[in-house]
Amino acid sequence: MDFPSSLQPTLFMTGPLGLSNVPDMSFMCSWRDALTLPESLPKNSENGAPHLSTGLLWEPETPGPLPLLPPSPDPWDPGVTAQDLLFRGGFTFRRKPQAVLDVTEQLSRFLWDHGDIAFAPLGKLMLENFKLEGAQSRSKKKTVVSVKRLLQDLGGHQPWGCPWAFLSFRQRRFSILGGPVLGKSVANLLGELLHEELAMRWEQLLLDDAFTGGALAWVPGRTAQVGQLVYPAGGALDKLRFQEVSLTPGGDPQALGDPGHIQLRGPVRQVVTCTVQGESLLAVRSDYHCALWKVSKQGRPTPLQVLQVGKGATGISLSPHLPGELAVCSRSGTVCLWTPQDGLQQVYKDPETLVFCDPSSWRWADFTAHPRVLTVGDRTGVKMIDAQGPPGCGLLLFRGGAEASCQKGERVLLTQYLGECGPKSLHPTLHLICTQFSLYLVDERLPLVPMLKWNHDLPSAPLWAQLLPPPRPGCPQPLLLGGQGGHLQLLHLAGEGASAPRLAGPPQSLPSSSDSLSAFPLLEPKSQWRLQERLKAPTIGLVATIPSSASEPVLSLFQLSAAGDVFHQRLRLQAGPGPNSCASTASWTPQATACCSRWLKDLLKVPPAPPVWAAPTFSHRRLLGRMEQREVEPKGPEALRAAMAEGRLLRQRDLGSLPSAEPPPAPEPGPEDELSTRLEAAWEGQMAAWWERQQGRSSGPGRQPKRRKRRTQLSSTFSSLSGRLDLSDATSPPHSPDRASPEARPQPPVTPPSQESTQELWAQGVPSERQQTLRDYMARLPLQKDTPRGVSLPLSQTSSIRATPSRPQTLPDGTAELPPRRNTLRGAAMSSSQTSSIRATPSRQQAPVLSGSQPHRKKPRMGF
Amino acid sequence: MSDFSEELIRSKTEDDKEESCVFSGTGMSFPWLQKHIGTVETGGKKEKDFAQTTSACLGFIQEALLKHQWQQAADYMHSYFQILEDSDTHKRQAAPEIIWKLGSEILFYHPKSSVETFNTFADRMKNIGVMNYLKISLQHALYLLHHGMLEDANRNLSHAETWRYGEKSSSQEVLINLIQAYKGLLQYYTWSKKKMELSTLDEDDYAYNTASQNMFDHSWKTSVNLRALIQTPGIWDPFVKSYVEMLEFYGDQDGAREVLTNYAYDEKFPSNPNAHIYLYNFLKREKAPREKLISVLKILYQIVPSHKLMLEFHRLLRKSEKEDHHKLGLEVLFGVLDFAGCTKNITAWKYLAKYLRQTLMGNHLAWVQEEWNSRKNWWPSFHFSSFWAKSDWKEDKALACEKALVAGLLLGKGCRYFRFISKQDDQVLRKKIKQIKKSVKKHSVVNPGL
Repeated sequence: MDFPSSLQPTLFMTGPLGLSNVPDMSFMCSWRDALTLPESLPKNSENGAPHLSTGLLWEPETPGPLPLLPPSPDPWDPGVTAQDLLFRGGFTFRRKPQAVLDVTEQLSRFLWDHGDIAFAPLGKLMLENFKLEGAQSRSKKKTVVSVKRLLQDLGGHQPWGCPWAFLSFRQRRFSILGGPVLGKSVANLLGELLHEELAMRWEQLLLDDAFTGGALAWVPGRTAQVGQLVYPAGGALDKLRFQEVSLTPGGDPQALGDPGHIQLRGPVRQVVTCTVQGESLLAVRSDYHCALWKVSKQGRPTPLQVLQVGKGATGISLSPHLPGELAVCSRSGTVCLWTPQDGLQQVYKDPETLVFCDPSSWRWADFTAHPRVLTVGDRTGVKMIDAQGPPGCGLLLFRGGAEASCQKGERVLLTQYLGECGPKSLHPTLHLICTQFSLYLVDERLPLVPMLKWNHDLPSAPLWAQLLPPPRPGCPQPLLLGGQGGHLQLLHLAGEGASAPRLAGPPQSLPSSSDSLSAFPLLEPKSQWRLQERLKAPTIGLVATIPSSASEPVLSLFQLSAAGDVFHQRLRLQAGPGPNSCASTASWTPQATACCSRWLKDLLKVPPAPPVWAAPTFSHRRLLGRMEQREVEPKGPEALRAAMAEGRLLRQRDLGSLPSAEPPPAPEPGPEDELSTRLEAAWEGQMAAWWERQQGRSSGPGRQPKRRKRRTQLSSTFSSLSGRLDLSDATSPPHSPDRASPEARPQPPVTPPSQESTQELWAQGVPSERQQTLRDYMARLPLQKDTPRGVSLPLSQTSSIRATPSRPQTLPDGTAELPPRRNTLRGAAMSSSQTSSIRATPSRQQAPVLSGSQPHRKKPRMGF
Repeated sequence: MSDFSEELIRSKTEDDKEESCVFSGTGMSFPWLQKHIGTVETGGKKEKDFAQTTSACLGFIQEALLKHQWQQAADYMHSYFQILEDSDTHKRQAAPEIIWKLGSEILFYHPKSSVETFNTFADRMKNIGVMNYLKISLQHALYLLHHGMLEDANRNLSHAETWRYGEKSSSQEVLINLIQAYKGLLQYYTWSKKKMELSTLDEDDYAYNTASQNMFDHSWKTSVNLRALIQTPGIWDPFVKSYVEMLEFYGDQDGAREVLTNYAYDEKFPSNPNAHIYLYNFLKREKAPREKLISVLKILYQIVPSHKLMLEFHRLLRKSEKEDHHKLGLEVLFGVLDFAGCTKNITAWKYLAKYLRQTLMGNHLAWVQEEWNSRKNWWPSFHFSSFWAKSDWKEDKALACEKALVAGLLLGKGCRYFRFISKQDDQVLRKKIKQIKKSVKKHSVVNPGL
């Protein structure tokens, strides 16, 4: 074999990654490789013009890839995103952004959403310290807490740890009692596990190396125009599909017939094919298994071997030299060679990484130009080992360090042997090594010094690469590089015989599947979002082929997404070099948009992925029963809520006829609009008359029984819980010592005698268990101008409030799927607004009493 | 320049260069981390508008470059220059290098760009900041060299050569060495041109003397320029080649040998096969003894057993008197044919067939068995499968015959390859096939008794 007669000048430094005072020889750009030093001077000076293939460009036929097959019928969910994992707190923007895992929020959400899981065992342990039934704890033991009271206390407060909420004596006792157990054990146990899990998920989000190498393969068929795509399908990616595809020179590839499939017992991570000596082989890697098939000329697979990998397989590769031979590497750092003659043979074993210490257990193995020499790679470097030599010896092919002028934090993501493609192609000794920053071409005859380095700048991890044969004799070979996010780049590699490999012309980027969005019809937001998510699904496989028969070279590119969709695009090699030829832009053909529409129609038929989890709707509110039972529920909001829960659009037929009281901002208020009429009355100074009217109405025959019924309902729920309602608390003055912040009250509240006397009255509409709370609030209000009438007024007012606002409370019943956090939030917001409205009533209601034209009319709004 | 002091500070805190990449727990950096973090809304201060627009602009330029939309890239580049006024010193200092990288690429490929435009751009960029002067000068010179403007390139390099800033750091020194070496290379080009002219002149001519004097001057200057860099570990093939050529021309054989020996055997240098090839070629020109040549090629054999010089090595070993050289000769041939790129090398197969027979006739069965033992489980399917028998016969009958002989010798006449070829009926090769059959019958390893 020839060796390049003269190599590019390169400085050779040994040392660790990111050695700073080395002049980076890769500072030169892509055109640096065009500047091969002239071998002899006269040759160059004569043809002074750059003899470059600048016009080398693969022009996509459509602005983006098109779906080849109908969408997979299994629902797909994008899974965890950065938003779910990272801390959203308000740290300022920094030059060096930092990812902070939000363990606290996750933990608190877990405690809220899965409180039964988190606390039930502890609750059982502490059962003797709780008194679940009975009125008051008459027990002398201070270690027994009455649950009912506790819940009552909790019920009045903001659930989200309102900083102004005060602690009751009981709560204090409870937290002292339960704190050490609840706080520490739950947080310690859960927190550790949760942090571990979050860190793992985050790592996986940044780099998911399971699909390294790609899970899509092309098995050439009898003719150049027909072949089979082999890829995993199904929600769990455990169905290996064989889809025959014909590549017509003129039009788009056609799927021929229904795909055959093999059901496997694990997700397929990598599919490799290789045709050696006319024999097509297919190797598949799953998490813990590898399998090998032989594909006949007719395209029928016959199983050859299944290997079990205990520690988990990370890579599989088929020998390009010997039929049926394959290399498997596992997380334990073992590389095995499987041959039909010798069976499994351990070639290499080292749990440590090659160059420096790196925690990743990812390993990779590939073949070299010598059939008995393998490359073994990990995140830090690549080594060549002789399968027949003594164990432990070998030669480093690539070292993550100053030799290749690697950056700090640079790691190997993919290594691939770029074997022989044809007689007039690149040296069959080249290896491609991809890191997150750069791409290196290393010749195994000159280890450690890359022959070519190019900064690919891909915005996602490059996990797939494929070297294609030259499209035309004498043309440079295209090298396809694919990132996990669907980003594609095409490089042109030249250099055969006595010349060193170099980039021929600038690399180009190819459209990714998210560029196809414009081919789809515009949808309603929900479906549009779903389509967008689907198109943005990470790529898990990539394969390209150039059917050689066509006069004009066409590159067919297939892409498999994590959602199980196969997309394809065709690229044509630009005929002649010229500045104008680059400017042409592809546009969507009617066939393409029709194809997309068909695909979309099928996609929308696929049911959306079920939510990952459904939170329990258990809450203490339900335990205590409905404090605020709803009245007759208008149909509209309920339908809206149902629609929201199901995630679909609200249509007119869901609503039936809209209640006339509901129209959004109507110029003419409906007859039922109490507030407007009241405001109107107040404006006109006829508040008292309105009030009379109102009272008359509320004491009408329609209202009274209803309210009574509600109360009986309430008391019955309570009786089931606590036997009888005790009003002993209600009689005790509100300035009980359990108030945590006495200074919050400016004056020791002296309950006005008028209030005492009218207690029965204003308490009419309020459940008795709420009366204490209500009284507390009343007491806190600065009631300077209390008049007996002023007190009597709130009664009906509160009743009217109580009568109307129970609507939001229906939410927990109506929509069980909604996360309960929102329920509780909503519920809490409700109760607080209620109490505030109640609290506001006495002072507010004075306005119409004192003078009808008091400029307070805007205020009442706040209460509602 | 006003930002000199800033640059000094910057060179001290070089380690916070990587801005966009952040390390996770594993020490690995992810260029796409920023994108993930960007999706999480933070309550704090956002990136400034200026920074947002410049980074967006940078993205557009890169995108346009990857789509070969040079005009569009140039338009965006026009707007990107604003980053030179970024209030963030760190970004402002990193900017010239980015601008140079992208800008030079645009100008290199832009259909309307000319050498003049490139020159103007390069000259401007050299003087924005001080850290990039040498790098840009070197690349500028390479650009000119590529366009055949040797004199301009030389002038550029001369300017850069004398340039100094602050204390001479090691990186500066390497760059200056590199610049001097390129200058030396340019001088070599002029020299070799003169040499060509000289060869046309008569030795007694007056012009010959001046010309040779001229050449001598050049070579002296060149040697000064090239020597410094060649001492630094690295791959300096073009420089070494031209330097040795000049030294040889002036009869400094010892100097040339020293340079080449150092280049090949210095342990600080990477194991560059070319270094050994150059040394071997030099020794061959020098008519060095065979022993010497063998010792050089022995090392090349260890580095690159697939090199085409290995066949020459085999010839040398075959001619040698030593027994162990004969053994090595067999090993070398087997070694060459191990490689995927050499499977169709007919010379190698011819040599092997001939030498194998010779060795077996010379009663060195043990040598053959030693080589064959490590190959017997994979050579049959690698070389001698029925697939190859068919395809070799179809493509190259001579190759098929040689391989058939080897297959027969190593595997016996039951071997599929041998059987297939021996069954073929070809008018031209009938005699040859008969010979092969005879040899196999006589010397095959498998049944040595027969």
